[in-house]
Amino acid sequence: MKAIFYHLSSGASGLFLLALAVFMPALVQAQPASDGQSVKALTTNASGALVVLRGSGLFALEGQTAVEMPLPPSDSGSQPNTLAKGADSSLYLAGPGLGIWRYDNANESWQPLNDTLPDLGITAIAAHATQPDTLYAYLGDDGMFRSRDGGEGWVKVDSGPREPVQAFLHSDMPGSMESGWLFAGTTRGVSRSMDCFCFWGDAGELRGTVAAIDYDPSAPENVYAVTEGRLHHSSDGGETWANLESTQAVTALTFSPTEGLVVGTENGDLLTRDASGEWVPLYE
Amino acid sequence: MNKWSFPLVLLVAPAIVMAGGAPTNSDSVPAEVAEGRQIYEQYCAACHGRQGEGTADWNKPDEKGEMPPPPHDETGHTWRHSDSMLVRMIAEGWRHPFNKTDRLTMPAFKDILTDQEIRSVIEYLKTLWTEDQRRYQQDESQDSNQAESPS
Repeated sequence: MKAIFYHLSSGASGLFLLALAVFMPALVQAQPASDGQSVKALTTNASGALVVLRGSGLFALEGQTAVEMPLPPSDSGSQPNTLAKGADSSLYLAGPGLGIWRYDNANESWQPLNDTLPDLGITAIAAHATQPDTLYAYLGDDGMFRSRDGGEGWVKVDSGPREPVQAFLHSDMPGSMESGWLFAGTTRGVSRSMDCFCFWGDAGELRGTVAAIDYDPSAPENVYAVTEGRLHHSSDGGETWANLESTQAVTALTFSPTEGLVVGTENGDLLTRDASGEWVPLYE
Repeated sequence: MNKWSFPLVLLVAPAIVMAGGAPTNSDSVPAEVAEGRQIYEQYCAACHGRQGEGTADWNKPDEKGEMPPPPHDETGHTWRHSDSMLVRMIAEGWRHPFNKTDRLTMPAFKDILTDQEIRSVIEYLKTLWTEDQRRYQQDESQDSNQAESPS
């Protein structure tokens, strides 16, 4: 009997140790979906999971847990402030002093794409909605740059709108002379140009500093922008805007393939709308 | 004539002929550009200006809610488009999606101008741009050609 108990006991211990070895790394990295820190930027990754940039770090949300992702190294201590998802689902990150980086899923590390940029002062990036190799970067001191080879070569294409750009978006909304539209959230409101950079004009009369901008890929005329904590919606490609009431000050937004419109808030929460249009916490 | 003169003529004459390039008019303007200018003045200048200067305030909707004809010179954005896009715009026309009217912003000329005439107009427009703009537009055209016929 003692021998049987011993075997069972040692077997259970072994299983426990095995389980610990397997799950310990995940337990160390996994955190609650919200840590109370304001959401700086949002996007989704190749599997559709939300990627959340907070002051405390970068996290991929898997269900109700947040798995911390590494950040690019920075000698100057520069912090990222913006995320973008490419047409091939590549994940991009940028910030003033950091430049722009692409996430390498295989090596779980960031690759710099800054060799041909004049400086690292990027305040906003956008990825082309349908062309995986086309990227856009706004440099506060130098204007707008475009790469058509995945970030290897950057060419200055325009000075951009009159006011500095805080948020950037490429959309495949129909009607462009070329392959889509660019929306630039500035300190004055939303500017819009066809992606030929033909000219920047006001997208409607929304005024204020734009912190975030995104659109609904399944209905591209629907554009969303955040100004000073308030969420606005345009159903006509930026011609007119309506305020969308939210329960908290909004700081970031994205479109999730599974959840639809998701906003990040000043309190660190992630909210989405239920069938009746009410804001509800994600993953609760 | 010394003994070197005849071979020298054989060597240099073809180069002189080739340096002349396309047939030119009396002002040494390539014939295609001269033809393009003539067509431009007949069909385009009434809206886009005789010198390609466009309409004042061309980048804001007019009182009818339509985008006015833009300049084609260095102050406009024509130089930002590839050759193939410019051909398509002139041939098929284009409507700005945010115009308040349904009519084409840029009328279609495919029933009025031949393909060659459209290309001539584009060659003339290129003479209104800066060297940097011509280089940019050439790159756009090359990128566009590569995109349309990937190797």
